[in-house]
Amino acid sequence: MILLYIGAALMIIGALCDLLAGIGMLRFKNFYLRLHAATVGTVGGAVVPLIGVALAALDMPSLPGRFAIAGASFITALIILLVAPAGSTALAYAAHRSGVEGNFHFDHLRGEEK
Amino acid sequence: MIESVVKLIVPIFSLAIVMYLVRAVKGPTIPDIVLAIDCIGYDLAAFMGILSLYFKSPYLISGAIVLALWSYLLDIYVSRYLLREVRV
Repeated sequence: MILLYIGAALMIIGALCDLLAGIGMLRFKNFYLRLHAATVGTVGGAVVPLIGVALAALDMPSLPGRFAIAGASFITALIILLVAPAGSTALAYAAHRSGVEGNFHFDHLRGEEK
Repeated sequence: MIESVVKLIVPIFSLAIVMYLVRAVKGPTIPDIVLAIDCIGYDLAAFMGILSLYFKSPYLISGAIVLALWSYLLDIYVSRYLLREVRV
């Protein structure tokens, strides 16, 4: 019974993180600031509720195929936790190389100080 | 109990997806659009997990893994395309 409450709490925390990430994605000024909102939206808004789904599905005996749901959602959470920072890093590097503007004080990747 | 939690969560997720969609439509550069679509993909994966818990069906969760990997694939393809466009 305790796992169900922990899972529901994790799902609500994930929904709140997702709302904050959506507001940040609308309100931030340039691409490198929106990357912070995207990190909140992926790790806080997708990994945390999927772990909550896994914990809550383990504690519902009337659910058909509950071990399938728990295992698949846990593996999906692990995949997103590994893959989302790698994709964001590659996208940020490509955006910097292709000349997307940002308000930097120092630009160490280009090797100069503004 | 889990039904009431899902009924609380679904409007918040829908509102977040609408906000990402606004940024994906009006984003000034290509990485903005790709980042917004990426976040929509990861959120849909989590949303499908929650819906499989609500509808009591284990078939809905099998699409979530593919959706997460598809978002990563979109990132890598677009970043390779942008880098190649610079180097030529």
